[in-house]
Amino acid sequence: MASSTAVLRAEPIQFPRKIIALLPGVALLTVVGLAGKVLEKSIGTYTKAHHIVFPNIEYVLWAIVVGLLISNTVGVPAWFKPGVATYEFWLKTGIVLLGARFLLGDVLKLGSVSLVLVLIELTLSIAFMTLLGRIFKLSPKLTSLLAVGSSICGVSAIIATKGAIDADDEDASFAIAAILALGALALFTFPPIGHWLGMNDHMYGLWAGTGVDNTAEAVAAGALYSDAAAKIAVLAKTTRNAMIGFVVLGYALYWAAREGRQAVGNKAAFLWQKFPKFVLGFLLISLLASLSVFNKDQIGSLANLSRWAFLLTFAGVGLRINFKEMKKQGLRPFIVGALGEIVIAAITLGLVLGASKLVKL
Amino acid sequence: MADQTNETKKKPAGLSLDGWAVTVALVLTALVRLGVLKHVSW
Repeated sequence: MASSTAVLRAEPIQFPRKIIALLPGVALLTVVGLAGKVLEKSIGTYTKAHHIVFPNIEYVLWAIVVGLLISNTVGVPAWFKPGVATYEFWLKTGIVLLGARFLLGDVLKLGSVSLVLVLIELTLSIAFMTLLGRIFKLSPKLTSLLAVGSSICGVSAIIATKGAIDADDEDASFAIAAILALGALALFTFPPIGHWLGMNDHMYGLWAGTGVDNTAEAVAAGALYSDAAAKIAVLAKTTRNAMIGFVVLGYALYWAAREGRQAVGNKAAFLWQKFPKFVLGFLLISLLASLSVFNKDQIGSLANLSRWAFLLTFAGVGLRINFKEMKKQGLRPFIVGALGEIVIAAITLGLVLGASKLVKL
Repeated sequence: MADQTNETKKKPAGLSLDGWAVTVALVLTALVRLGVLKHVSW
């Protein structure tokens, strides 16, 4: 949590020094991401040449696995960490660029289907996580953080809520560790289940976007299925992220009333402060694409730039998973999170399968 | 952290992470649109 509190502190920005500090970690993200690409290609070529039956494992998974191996064996040295932490910046840049592949009409159509699913998912997830927290006697604030983390958008939602409800650093670390561990687990479980159920790209993408907590893992879970599924997962997850302000505001008001503190003053300003602004960038690029500002070649280039940004994100997902650190956080929040995730995954799967009967997905 | 519930807390100067992501994406988009970045391969 040290890094998240450090971000909140007002410090003079020493621009060149800051950029230089990021370079080693960004270079590591690039090397790990490229290793994932090389592994996918070389293993595919080798197995094909030797007539070996081997499933095609996408670069996404290789990049995550290579990162995970580094993080849990030699570890990530301190001077790489600031750059590795930029994976979230690459994720958001990639999402904004991906807007070029969506026409605004599709965004509105798919976004409205996603929004209905997200609203149902949010209500059920928050209710269920709150119930689980009470059954397992977790502290009420940790329960709130886990509920927000699993229902909206993982780590950023937890950090936003932590400030709004005045939760402890320790509770936030617990919740973040549980959400990250479970997000990693989703990468290995969602794609096989999707294939087993014979889900098409749209259905699976919607499921990954509504069922996987953290944005990076949701995009990775989509990309592990197919490129088209990743596209839909991004849209569904972005819709979910857009709800962050409302949920955090709800929790802030609840905890302020419970603790007799001064409630949030200007609610509109609060909602704007918590709104993920990159969504606006995504919509702007999508609007430009809808107005035919780009030709086919340019849309291809923007889509590829988005893929490069996601490659660095996936490398970062693996590099930040440290099982030893997660173990330190204890088992109870993890069990609550895991039980919650299984139920949320089942609920969202049911919602997507139900929606596919009502609208063409 | 309690003071974060009202909007009195001063935010650090400069762009937020989202602001940087949108800015960089828009710059890249402009470079592609203007033909400075061509045929980005994957």
